[in-house]
Amino acid sequence: MASVSEMYDVTWEEMRDKLRKWREDNHRNSEQIVDVGEELINEHASKLGDDIWIIYEQVMIAALDCSRDDLAWVSSPSDMSSSSEQGTCLQELKRQFPGSQRVKRLAGMRLEALEKYEDASKQYDSILQDDPTNTAARKRKISILKAQGKSAEAIRELNEYLEQFVGDQEAWHELSELYINEHDYGKAAFCLEELMMTNPHNHLYCEQYAEVKYTQGGLENLELSRKYFAQALKLNNRNMRALFGLYMSASHIAASPKVNATVKKANVKYATWATNQINRAYQLAGRGTKENKCSVKAVEEMLESITMS
Amino acid sequence: MGEVELSCLAYVKMYLHACLFPRCSVNGLLLSSSPAGGAVCVTDCVPLLHTHLPLAPITQLALTQVDVWCAQTQQRIVGYYQANACVSDSSPTPCALKIADKIAEQCNNAVLLMIDGGKMSPDYRVPPIVMYERKDTRWTLKDKHTIMLRQWEETRDIASQLLDSGDHSLLVDFDSHLDDITRDWTNQKLNAKIAELASPANDNLGVCQLGNPVLR
Repeated sequence: MASVSEMYDVTWEEMRDKLRKWREDNHRNSEQIVDVGEELINEHASKLGDDIWIIYEQVMIAALDCSRDDLAWVSSPSDMSSSSEQGTCLQELKRQFPGSQRVKRLAGMRLEALEKYEDASKQYDSILQDDPTNTAARKRKISILKAQGKSAEAIRELNEYLEQFVGDQEAWHELSELYINEHDYGKAAFCLEELMMTNPHNHLYCEQYAEVKYTQGGLENLELSRKYFAQALKLNNRNMRALFGLYMSASHIAASPKVNATVKKANVKYATWATNQINRAYQLAGRGTKENKCSVKAVEEMLESITMS
Repeated sequence: MGEVELSCLAYVKMYLHACLFPRCSVNGLLLSSSPAGGAVCVTDCVPLLHTHLPLAPITQLALTQVDVWCAQTQQRIVGYYQANACVSDSSPTPCALKIADKIAEQCNNAVLLMIDGGKMSPDYRVPPIVMYERKDTRWTLKDKHTIMLRQWEETRDIASQLLDSGDHSLLVDFDSHLDDITRDWTNQKLNAKIAELASPANDNLGVCQLGNPVLR
């Protein structure tokens, strides 16, 4: 099978820089990271200098995500002969940084990947004994609860964590997801409000908040959802979910028997505006490709039927 | 209740949908191009979401669009499938039951299909699915002997082939479509690829009833 550098015609420096970008953006494209990282480690380790350690860490986590235990660590002494010549990621890191908490966490993650949750938990507990403020270890413990399907406990622990570490965006978002899965939309909305406050320009948080409000239902929530769909569009006018959301929430409000004529008129206006924008977007998308003719037609009919009723 | 038949096309796309997003719960709709009455023949499926399954707006939108497309193509929505992110738990979630209920309002013998992630190993011999049907107002496990997949081994091989060749990334679900509306959620391209790989039908070979795994 062709190497990455051959297939994409890239140099090792470009591969190293790509890995760094994925690291900084916190992408979870694990299969790609493993492909690029494995080649980089096997072919160009000597050129990477001190970068190699952070690359080992990145590749190891990606390898665990793809069940590439051969890359992360050998599972038994008898596998030693089949592992790559340079040794595997965790081995190298342990050798270079003996006693490091950061490496200990990686060892814990590997235990998690093997579903040895008790052992993993003990590993994280020992990290926390030495350093009670180690956020990484605490979050891994919560991830174990999630993996075991113990949502209520995960939610409780995450709430406790957030009382101490109130600025952890990732944690707030995780909590909102957990609440959504438990159908606790009020609390999910609260988490998203925190995120919107600290990230006022993020259109995705606005749009997710609007979706939660829409799901909660009731006139007040629908109006809020419409406002936040509109806000998301203001921040990014190509967010299709927000556009459809605006259309749907405005239509529902206009159709509600509880609203007065003025409100009805305004919402019909919003819905019509959204309809036109959606149509335009699909016309633009439909040009040149025969493929999405079906979807384009489906949208046209849907919009026709709703504007008629 | 009646028999349900699952076509190669429907199974392969469902399976690939779950494989494409291994870290998420995924869901989709089951379609039939056969007329109502008699056995339920699931001939196709539309993969829907891989994020925020319980949230209403996008689900409602997708149901409406698929409804319209079905009317255009003489198909009906006859069921719903879901694969949970948590591999150890393949029971239907409240949102699965809700959507299935809605489908059952329009379709008498609608089915609810859960993909059992725990059984999706490379050498699985029986389809990793669990089906439910509506009895009175509750969804109950369907008798395995009433679920049929024709040419099962061939179907399974087609799915593996597409996975190995990386072609499963051709699959577009409704979520992906909203991220980029030039992508086609009816999956015409992938359908063609699957049809290419499927050999001429010979109904008597390799019929798999879930209750009786084909032993070779």
